[in-house]
Amino acid sequence: MINRYRASAGIMLAPAVTLIGVFVLLPMLLTVWLSFQDWSTQTPFSNASFIGLDNFYEIFGPTSVGRDFKGALANTAIYTALSVIFILPLSVVFGLMVYQRDVAGGTALRTVLFATYMVPMIAVALVWSKLYSPSEGPLNQMLGLVGIGPQPFLSSPRSALISIVFLNVWQQVGYFTVLAIAGLTQIPGSLYEAAKLDGANRREQFRFITLPLLRRTLLFSAVIAIINAVQVFEPVALITQGGPVGSTNVLTYHIRRVGIERAQGGLGSAMAVMLMLSLIVVICALFAFANRKNDE
Amino acid sequence: MSARSSDWLPRRRPSGRKALLATLMLLVAVASAFPLVWMVLSSLKTPAESMQVPPVWIPGTPSLDAYEKVSGVVNVGRSMWNSLVIASITTAGILLTSMMAGYAFAKYHFPAKSLLFSLLIATMFLPPIVTLIPLYRLVGSIGLNASLAGIIVPNLANAFGIFLMRQFISGVPDDLIDAARMDGASELLILFKIVAPSVAPAIAALALFAFVYHWNSYLWPLTVLQGNADAYPIVISLSRLLSYNRGAVNTGLVMAGATLAVLPPLLLFVFLQRFFVDSIVGSAIKG
Repeated sequence: MINRYRASAGIMLAPAVTLIGVFVLLPMLLTVWLSFQDWSTQTPFSNASFIGLDNFYEIFGPTSVGRDFKGALANTAIYTALSVIFILPLSVVFGLMVYQRDVAGGTALRTVLFATYMVPMIAVALVWSKLYSPSEGPLNQMLGLVGIGPQPFLSSPRSALISIVFLNVWQQVGYFTVLAIAGLTQIPGSLYEAAKLDGANRREQFRFITLPLLRRTLLFSAVIAIINAVQVFEPVALITQGGPVGSTNVLTYHIRRVGIERAQGGLGSAMAVMLMLSLIVVICALFAFANRKNDE
Repeated sequence: MSARSSDWLPRRRPSGRKALLATLMLLVAVASAFPLVWMVLSSLKTPAESMQVPPVWIPGTPSLDAYEKVSGVVNVGRSMWNSLVIASITTAGILLTSMMAGYAFAKYHFPAKSLLFSLLIATMFLPPIVTLIPLYRLVGSIGLNASLAGIIVPNLANAFGIFLMRQFISGVPDDLIDAARMDGASELLILFKIVAPSVAPAIAALALFAFVYHWNSYLWPLTVLQGNADAYPIVISLSRLLSYNRGAVNTGLVMAGATLAVLPPLLLFVFLQRFFVDSIVGSAIKG
C-alpha cells in the first residue's frame, strides 16, 4: 500500500516540481553561477568564462557601471522603504474603516479599494502619467484649488521617485487592506469588552489590543510589500526611462537594461545576486526586529 | 462583535464621530476611484476637450472616436486574443499542477516532504528579475522565444497555487478519500471527482488570481517576445500608445486603450470578488 502511494506522490508532484525546477530553481542557480562569469546574454551558457569576483568589483566600483548600479540600489531602497511606510499604516486605517460597524458602507469601501489592485500596472502607469501632467493634468488643477502651486511630479529629479511611490501605494493599498481586515477578524471581541470594563478608552484599546495583535499580519504585509516594491518596472520603463537624471532608475529596470538590452549577462546577474542578498538581509532583519518586540 | 474599529478617532459625541467617520470613508473611496473614473471620462472626450486648460471634467459630447483611433495604432483584436490565450492556458496549467502537487503535499507521506515543500514555497518570495537573464537564455535555447509558448510554458506551475491548494485540501476528510480508494478509484479520479468539488471555492479563487495576474503581466512577455508584435498581449500593445504622437492630443487615445485593458480583469473582479477576498483572507490566516 505504502509503495503504491509513494508512486502516486511522484506522479502528482512531477509536473509542478519539474516546471518550477527548470524555470525557477535552475535559473536561480544559473544567476548565481553567471555572476562569477564573463558572459554575453546573446551567447550560449557554455561561452561563459570564470572571472572570480570581477563583476562584483565592477558594480561597486568607481566607473559609470558602479555609479549606475549603486544609484539603482539606493533608489530601490528608498522606493521600497517609502512604499512600506505609506502602505502599512494606511492598510490598518482603511481596514478599520471597513471592519467597523458604526457606519454602513464598509464592504463597498473594500470593493473600491481592492478594485485598483486588479488594474494592470501598465494602465496605472498610463493613467497616472496623464494625472501628473504638469499643465493640463487634473492633480495640479486640484492643488491649485487649495492654493498649492503646480508641482513638477515626474519631470523633476527631486519628485519623480516619490511620485511613482504614490502611484504604487494607490494601486496596492487595497490588497494590504484586505490582509489587515483578515488580521482584525482574528482578534477576539472579548478582549475589547474586558478592556472596556477596566476603563480603557478607544485609543488605549487600539494601542494595547489592536496594534499588538496585528503584529503577525503586519509582518506578513511588510514582507509582501517589500517583495512587490522591488519589482516596480512598468511606470519606469514606460514614463521616465529611469530619469530624470537617474532619479527613478530602479533595480528591476536597471538589471533588465544591463542584462538583456545590453546583453551583459554576467554583470546583470551579479546585480541580481546583490538584490537577492539584500532582500534576504532585510527580511531576516525584519523578523529579528519583530521577535525582539515579542520578547519585551 | 464588539471589536470597535473607529478607536483611532478622537473621542466625540457619538453622532459627531459617525459623521466624521462617514466623511473620511467617502473621501478614501473617492480618492481611490478617481483615477479610474477620470480614465473612462477622458477616453470619451474629443481631442479639443483633452487639451483644454483648465481641464474639462465631464465630456460635453461623449464620443467613442478615441476607441476607434486606438484600433488604428495597435491591433486591438489580435492583442486581446493573445492576452486571452496567454491568461487562459496559463491558468489551466496552474490549476492542474497546483491541484496535483497540493494533493500530494496534503494527503501523502513521502521522504523529504517538508524540505521539498519549503524549497518550492521559497520561490514564492523570489522577485522575477532575479531569474530573468538566464531564463531568457534558457527559453531561447529550447526554441520558445518570440512566441506565445515562450510566455506561457515557464508559468504553468507556481508556488502560490501549490500552497493555496495544500491549505484547502488538508481540510478534506481522509475518510472520504479512503472510502473512494476502497471502491478502487484511481488517485487521479479521487482528486478530480472527490477532492476538487469539495475545494471548489479555492479553485475558483486561484483561477481568478492566475488569470488576472497573467493578463496583467508585462516584464516577462516584453522580454521574451523581443519585438514580435504579432504575439503582443494587450498590455504591451498599450505601451506603444504613449510613444505614439506624444503630447496632450493623445490623452483620449491613451485613456481609451487603458480602459480596454482594464475592463476584463475589473469585470471579473466585480462579479467574483467574494472568491478573491476569501482566498486572501484564507491564505493569510492559515499561513
